[in-house]
Amino acid sequence: MTHKMLLLSLQLGIIVVAAKFFGWLFAKKLKQPQVLGELIAGMLIGPYTLGAISIHALEGPLFPHSGEAIPVSAELYGIATLGSIILLFVSGLETDLKTFLKFSAKGSVVGIGGIIISFLLGSGVTVLLNPSVHSIMDPAALFLGTISTATSVGITARILSEKKKLSTPEGVTILAAAVLDDVLSIILLSVVVGIAAVSAAGGSIEWGAIGGVALKAIGFFIICTVLGILLAPRIVKGLKWFKSLDIIIGASIGIALLLAGLSEMVGLAMIIGAYITGLSFSQTDVSHEIREKIEGIYEFLVPIFFCVMGMMVNFEAMAGVIWFGLAFTVVAFIGKLVGCGLPSLFVGFNMRGAFRIGAGMLPRGEVTLIVAGIGLSSGAIGHDMFGVAIMTMLFASIAAPPLLIKSFSGGSGYRTTLEEKDEAVSIELEFPSKMAADFMRRSLADGFRTEGFFVNRLDHNAHVYQLRMDMIVLTLIQDKEHIVLNTPPEHEQFVRLMMMEQLLTFKDFLSGLESMKSPDMMGAELLMGMFAQEDSKKNK
Amino acid sequence: MKLKNVLSTSVVNVSLNGESKEEILEELLDILMKTGKVSDRDEALKGLYAREKKMSTGIQYGVAIPHAKTKAVKELIACIGIKKEGVDFAALDGVDSKIFFMTLSPVDKTGPHVQFLAEISMVVKTEEARSKLLEASTAEEVLAVFGL
Repeated sequence: MTHKMLLLSLQLGIIVVAAKFFGWLFAKKLKQPQVLGELIAGMLIGPYTLGAISIHALEGPLFPHSGEAIPVSAELYGIATLGSIILLFVSGLETDLKTFLKFSAKGSVVGIGGIIISFLLGSGVTVLLNPSVHSIMDPAALFLGTISTATSVGITARILSEKKKLSTPEGVTILAAAVLDDVLSIILLSVVVGIAAVSAAGGSIEWGAIGGVALKAIGFFIICTVLGILLAPRIVKGLKWFKSLDIIIGASIGIALLLAGLSEMVGLAMIIGAYITGLSFSQTDVSHEIREKIEGIYEFLVPIFFCVMGMMVNFEAMAGVIWFGLAFTVVAFIGKLVGCGLPSLFVGFNMRGAFRIGAGMLPRGEVTLIVAGIGLSSGAIGHDMFGVAIMTMLFASIAAPPLLIKSFSGGSGYRTTLEEKDEAVSIELEFPSKMAADFMRRSLADGFRTEGFFVNRLDHNAHVYQLRMDMIVLTLIQDKEHIVLNTPPEHEQFVRLMMMEQLLTFKDFLSGLESMKSPDMMGAELLMGMFAQEDSKKNK
Repeated sequence: MKLKNVLSTSVVNVSLNGESKEEILEELLDILMKTGKVSDRDEALKGLYAREKKMSTGIQYGVAIPHAKTKAVKELIACIGIKKEGVDFAALDGVDSKIFFMTLSPVDKTGPHVQFLAEISMVVKTEEARSKLLEASTAEEVLAVFGL
């Protein structure tokens, strides 16, 4: 026991440092998603690579192979699972449910198209090229199909905001589709886990049984979500009696863990319960506080999860499926390009626009990893197919950004004759310092909130926000001392007036400062106080 | 926010009497008082003055949009006033203001305020709409410019 805990402590120490360093290296130096760095850190230090080297003092390697499908120790895997629960809880918390329920019709057509085509192509190519997989209902085919559906919109959102393309019809459609994509992928995962469980138990896969499993998964998701959304505000209201934010936050994480366990009990993945809890609490007035308070746990546990996922990559097992992996990656690309691009042609976009939307939906990320991890731990897929999933994710995340940037050069992607009408207008303000711009950005976000807008932070590493009310979508970006608001031309008047009103608030703040007791005087008083104790001692 | 839910003939005055910025503000507020939706006239006026003090709401081309968020109202209310001769409203372009839209909305409620101002500004941004408003001799003709 002591040796196990000692080993776990050493492992976690190495993981945290390696994940943070590689995360930093990828995000800041290579301008790639942080998660890729964390994943690669895991590949390098895991039980299949450096971690396998025997260390004399430990009488064995630091990361000994467990001998099971999951090559790391149960204790370490448990902590990584906790990371995935926190990750999905936060994803749910950050989902803008009102937007999701009201998302534009275009987004839903594109999102659903992408899911169906990617799933069919992903599972189809697995059956076609993989001799051990005989039917599309084989758990391996189902998992690989699901792996190719999930889009990671964070990467796309960052690129589009940098290129000032978030408010274009393509940008808005991609974001709406991606919200839907997340929810649908998670529902799809519940169905697939259910089917895989029946199949693993030796049950025959019949269409009737699949219908039953699907119904159970979707039913659980809908019932828990509806109950959660109805109950969460009441729970929060009740807990407010304690007048302690800590209790509310503790309770919300507790519920996430309970519901995660419950979903596993009914044969679904744990992360589904965590996601539903997040989604329910996103509707309460304390959602921002919860998000802020758990940032610390998130930053600690989530990189551990990604790093442990990287440790599961068995390069030897992958060697035999490199060609299949490449083919699968290409098919996964085609799935999104065709699945999202084709429906866009029917909702007003031209070929250029359709390609942009397809390219924007290419990046794969967290959900892909989670699906692959669950597939591996449940035995539905082996190390070879897990490696294929990781390959797809790496290629998609690295290749998508340049493709997306290139696709956005050239004219409008919208088919209407009012092409120039759709070009977003950028209004920029420059402040004397970053601190002044910070104040203005917060003030603008508050102003838009009072007008009934939802303010959604798109990128945790930068101040990029989507402001949304019904069909109006604006982007607010702060880059050091610059504030930029992108708006469709029809809302320019409104945005200008809004910026003007907030600028007046800023002016109020400044005049408030001027009327303050002179800062020099305040400073002098502070300094004089430094020796007051000594002086009084002397006088005594 | 639909303009027709807020604007009606009872809140339109096509010939304001005021000769100064202060008089015009008082006169417009009196139109709003008639709706019975302003609970405290002084409080509302205080809000309007506070906003004018920060910066004049006289925008351009003879249009002014005096507005405030105040505890004196529970919902957004607005009125339209026209002064063909114009009044010095300390507008940004130095031109006397002739077309006035006064808007009051509640302080602590989420809802359109700036959006309503923008909606009105959109209508009067054309020279044609502004001259139609100045030529109007009845409240109906004014509302017709807004498609009401």
